[in-house]
Amino acid sequence: MASSTPGSGIAEPAAAPLASPVPARPARARRWRTLRHAAGARLAPFGAAVLVIAGLAALLAPAVAPHDPLKQDLNHALAQPERAHLLGTDNVGRDVLSRVIWGTRVSLVAGLGSVCIAVLAGGLLGLLAGYAGGRVDGLVMRLMDAVLSFPPLVLALALGAVLGAGLTGVVIALGVVYTPTFARLMRGQVLSITAREYVDAARALGVPGWRIAWSHVLPNATAPIVVQASLSVAFAILAEASLSFLGLGVQPPSPSWGSMINAGRGYLQQAPWIVFGPGAALFVTVVGLNFVGDAIRDALDPRLRV
Amino acid sequence: MGRLVLRRLAATIPVLLLVTAGVFALIHLTPGDPIDAMMAESVDDSVKRELRRDLGLDRPLYLQYATWMGRLLQGDLGRSIRNREPVIENVGRRIRPSLQLAGLAMAISLLVATPIGILSAARRNSTIDRCGTTFALFGICMPNFLIALLLIFVFGVTLRWLPISGYVDPLEEPWAGLRSLTLPAITLGLALAAVITRTLRSSMLEALSEDYIRTARAKGLSDGAVVRRHALKNALIPVVTVLGLQLGTLIGGAVITEYVFALPGVGRLVVDAVFARDYPLVQGVVLLIAVGFILSNLAVDLLYGLIDPRIRHR
Repeated sequence: MASSTPGSGIAEPAAAPLASPVPARPARARRWRTLRHAAGARLAPFGAAVLVIAGLAALLAPAVAPHDPLKQDLNHALAQPERAHLLGTDNVGRDVLSRVIWGTRVSLVAGLGSVCIAVLAGGLLGLLAGYAGGRVDGLVMRLMDAVLSFPPLVLALALGAVLGAGLTGVVIALGVVYTPTFARLMRGQVLSITAREYVDAARALGVPGWRIAWSHVLPNATAPIVVQASLSVAFAILAEASLSFLGLGVQPPSPSWGSMINAGRGYLQQAPWIVFGPGAALFVTVVGLNFVGDAIRDALDPRLRV
Repeated sequence: MGRLVLRRLAATIPVLLLVTAGVFALIHLTPGDPIDAMMAESVDDSVKRELRRDLGLDRPLYLQYATWMGRLLQGDLGRSIRNREPVIENVGRRIRPSLQLAGLAMAISLLVATPIGILSAARRNSTIDRCGTTFALFGICMPNFLIALLLIFVFGVTLRWLPISGYVDPLEEPWAGLRSLTLPAITLGLALAAVITRTLRSSMLEALSEDYIRTARAKGLSDGAVVRRHALKNALIPVVTVLGLQLGTLIGGAVITEYVFALPGVGRLVVDAVFARDYPLVQGVVLLIAVGFILSNLAVDLLYGLIDPRIRHR
């Protein structure tokens, strides 16, 4: 899997493969088979379970968090994990578990939000480039190359600096960082699909260009985009955590896994649980997303199985 | 080969132009007035006015870009607002630790990944393979800063074997210097090793299923010779590609690693500049990093052609 990226979490987009020439119909049966296949992968159930738990935690944070994530209690600062505080408390006595649960919101919003922006913007740009061709194509793709000329985290840092710290800034910055990946993918898809006979047929029938794009090209181009998007969410979550860890993302006291880890690193000796709670949450979420992403990839395009 | 170099160089020019435009735009994308954002409220208005004139922010945009580009072409990247020194000097002072860190991390990742990747593929589905793929998964899903904190927790805080922050130049004091760089280099190297392991394993598997491997085995070559001489050579090409693709990640990882271990490198400089809202410094360093990144990608491209003659002649 060449598109995997370690550490900083910002994916260096490897050119993803072109769409598999899946037979075009019947669509519903095909979708069903794909889903069944994805669910049958060995590690997918674990990944899906993680995602369901994370999603529920994010949605129901006010109900399931045992304590107020912002409430300080200096009498119980750096308390070890015990019944009242399952993951202990941090340096100002806030409940780590509650903050981890609320942090799920930030992570999921950052991951999903930025990938949505990237899929929309990149998809449209790629569609435009592939469909218009010529100068428009050249301009759009050079623009994407320019974005790719920055190391992803550095670009996100610089954009974040300009857009201001906070979740919105992070989501937009990461959205921009991931856009070229989807633009390239979509363009490749469009180029290969518009060369197919059914597009020629539609043209010969006098179907207008936008309609060909909408009802013939788009539906057939989605498979690799879905695969890339599902893997990108994991990287985006890592990237948000990295930025917040550096103090340039979500600002304290808002609970974000990255900023919690940064705040706790000064207490590694006395209270390692401040770091390990959010650290474990981050790691497990990303692993789960990777399992699901791999399962989706295998189901949609068996040739890519490593 | 010469023509390939020229063609690649020519292709980077429009991209470089767009990159400079993007970096130039950074300062102007700031919501509100960049000078107000850079300076504290308390700073005197005359100081702000002077800075605005210094940076040329009172002139039309296209003129500003033209002047900025003109200076750029003469190697003048502007000056830091904080210490009033040219950007180049700021970066020059910080480049050595960064390069040492990157070099060591690269070496560590290859040392770890090569044997694991090869063994994983050669003994597919064995215990070694399962451990190898698990290791790769961990490395890919684990953010840099968590690896760093784990290493600090184990080797710095608990065992007290290695220093957890600070930098000593290994060129001046080899032993202390290497010790100061060990944990950062492992942090950065492990993440990279994970990706290389995965790539090497899958490209080895592919190479091992080729017909020429069967032929090599059929003529009685030993397992080791088949793997080393026939499979590995062909499996290395995707690894080089991935190394190139991972350069950006390596730089990003270096930013975080330098931050955690308080290494005075270029990555740390970017973070500090962003914090200080020192926009000219951010602009200059980001541009330098981007250019460095483009040039190293170019180098990887050419290296690729050097390894695989089929690409050179395309």
